[in-house]
Amino acid sequence: MAPPYDALSSEGWGGVMRSELDGLMRTPLGRRALLRYMGAAALLGGSGVLAACRREATRNTAGTTPTSRAPIDEEPGDLKVFEWAGYDAKWIWRDYAQDGFDDPKFAFFTNTEQAIAKTAGGYTWDISHPETEYVQDYVELGLIQPWDTSLIPNFVDLNPALEEHGQFEGEQYNIVLDWGYSGVIIRTDHVDPSINSYSYLFDDDLEGRISWFDTPAILQQAGLVLAIESSIWDMSAEDLQTCKEYCIEKKKNLHSIWVDYTQMWDDVRQDNVWAAYSWQDTYAWLREEVPVQYIKPKEGVLSWAEGLILFADSQNYHHAHEYADAWASPEVGTRMTNAWGYGHANTQIDLSDLDQDLVEVFGLDDPIAALSEPNSLIFRHLPNRDSYNRAWDEVKAS
Amino acid sequence: MGRGQGVLTATGTAVEAHERAHLSEEARRARRRARASTLGLASSPVGYLVLFFLVPVILVAMYSVGALTLLPKDEYLSLQPWRDLLFGSIYLGVFWRSVQMALIVSVGAVLLAYPIAYVLALVAGGRKYTLLLLIIAPFLTSYLLRVLALRVILQEEGVVNSFLRTIGALGADQSIGWLYNSRFAVYFVLIYVWIPFVALPIFVALDNLDLALLEASSDLGASRWRTFRSVTLPLSMPGVIGAFIFVFIPTIGEYITPLLVGGPDNFMFGNAIQGAFLAGFDWQFGSAMSMFLVLVVMALIAIFGRYLNVRTVSE
Repeated sequence: MAPPYDALSSEGWGGVMRSELDGLMRTPLGRRALLRYMGAAALLGGSGVLAACRREATRNTAGTTPTSRAPIDEEPGDLKVFEWAGYDAKWIWRDYAQDGFDDPKFAFFTNTEQAIAKTAGGYTWDISHPETEYVQDYVELGLIQPWDTSLIPNFVDLNPALEEHGQFEGEQYNIVLDWGYSGVIIRTDHVDPSINSYSYLFDDDLEGRISWFDTPAILQQAGLVLAIESSIWDMSAEDLQTCKEYCIEKKKNLHSIWVDYTQMWDDVRQDNVWAAYSWQDTYAWLREEVPVQYIKPKEGVLSWAEGLILFADSQNYHHAHEYADAWASPEVGTRMTNAWGYGHANTQIDLSDLDQDLVEVFGLDDPIAALSEPNSLIFRHLPNRDSYNRAWDEVKAS
Repeated sequence: MGRGQGVLTATGTAVEAHERAHLSEEARRARRRARASTLGLASSPVGYLVLFFLVPVILVAMYSVGALTLLPKDEYLSLQPWRDLLFGSIYLGVFWRSVQMALIVSVGAVLLAYPIAYVLALVAGGRKYTLLLLIIAPFLTSYLLRVLALRVILQEEGVVNSFLRTIGALGADQSIGWLYNSRFAVYFVLIYVWIPFVALPIFVALDNLDLALLEASSDLGASRWRTFRSVTLPLSMPGVIGAFIFVFIPTIGEYITPLLVGGPDNFMFGNAIQGAFLAGFDWQFGSAMSMFLVLVVMALIAIFGRYLNVRTVSE
């Protein structure tokens, strides 16, 4: 008995199409030949894509020599900024707009690895905004060029403890502008703040009430708690193994590994989580709702720093410097700290304009000391990044 | 046979041969035209497949063996990523965990979708397409939004736990732990998400059922259950198998749902791939894992095609 779908499919246009395709498969062209042609076409297409990529990579590494640079009024002026969502707020580049330049065009990325891959694949922009630990990747791929800090008047007021992390081989590739801590938020109604350590994130007494962020930095925090011998930026295989095993052992204490920041806030707010890996803005948002304290651990607080990088082939070299200068102003810093709870690199911010509680938590009364070692451990390029990632995968899979 | 007859016969044969040759030429031309039109028709979808499927897969395969590299630290022409995958301590275990998840979700979704499709196709009558639209309508919203909405329902302070506290089934500080941040939550959300899509191919199979067969079965004395078991179910198996594959294949590589509702113990193969590409910046290893997934899925499709051929099932 022929099944009903067979009868249906042999009628009408569907049937015609099917018989045509059946015919194609049965003709001398045949299935194998068709697959062979598809394979050949795919190889040709792939080669074309690769060749295009290679051309793009070659072009990118060429860069633009200082002598060939046009003055600012001969530049196109259509500044393209590749940013995190939200950083297109006009108050950040108000001074740039007030100087009469055209509004920048924004495109957005969701993580820096994605941004690097996209740029390496040929995507172009003038300015982007990665964390400092990725500067080396951008430079090695030939994607960025150094800034001329003399063209950024506000640069002299930026925190030198941060700016040194924007340098690579003696050149300032990243104008570091915003920063934050990767510390611990605790519920003070359940947890003793005087311990003041990353050990909160591994504490057996907090079983089921701890939340980690989905990042290999947890291994480094474990390393700080365990006081391992090698540097947390370049752990020996033995130390990495020790940290991994420690995390696997303590994973039973977890409530969650968060990927969604606001969900972690909700968990702290709703008393589901008593200690969580967090940036300091969590404190700024939750301090009036629930009893929380932001911990900058005694081992040194891991810290992130981000800044502006300049595309190697940028046709808006001077516009980019004007834009960076607008970003670097103390007014932007004041608003960034008060509105977003993030730090800003400008050391000339008037502290009386800031929330005094945040000044204390951020350590803004002495920002150079606060962001220098051993108080702050700003994330660095990891020479053996893959080993950290595999170890972190093992922790999550355990 | 006289001479005249012979001439006539010879002439007839020549005419027939000429006609045959003419017809044969016509047939060849028709075949050429058919082939040209078929190639013309097929070129767009084939070109699309080549450009958006084959080329990317080839590029990923090249990354996986280092024929193509992204970062200076990447190893050129190296099988190390494959060695790490096949002989590393965790990744095959994680893959097996994902296969289990995909199997459970696929079977669960098909079992729950079948009654819906059955009612729509064979019971709902003239309202079936309206009802089908109603079932599908909520699923026109974003997948991510639906997962986030379910999180609001399942979490500790969510709708379910709050309701149970309100009616006194749970204490003030209690909540059902396995509802959220658990494997149950992953299965529940995935099955919920897939049900309408799974119901569609089953619905199509049942809707095309020749109702006379059901009447014949009844006339021959079969009970409703026997008719379902011996007629309806076998004839709808192409839809069921299609639906199963439709869920199983994408679910093996699923990573969003485990990430959002799975909790700390639900790291899946899709999460490992995502982590390697996005967080780890390890394209070689991510590509090796991706190719492994592609190869396994292709093997599974081949097995499904060989042993669960739709014709075999329905005959």
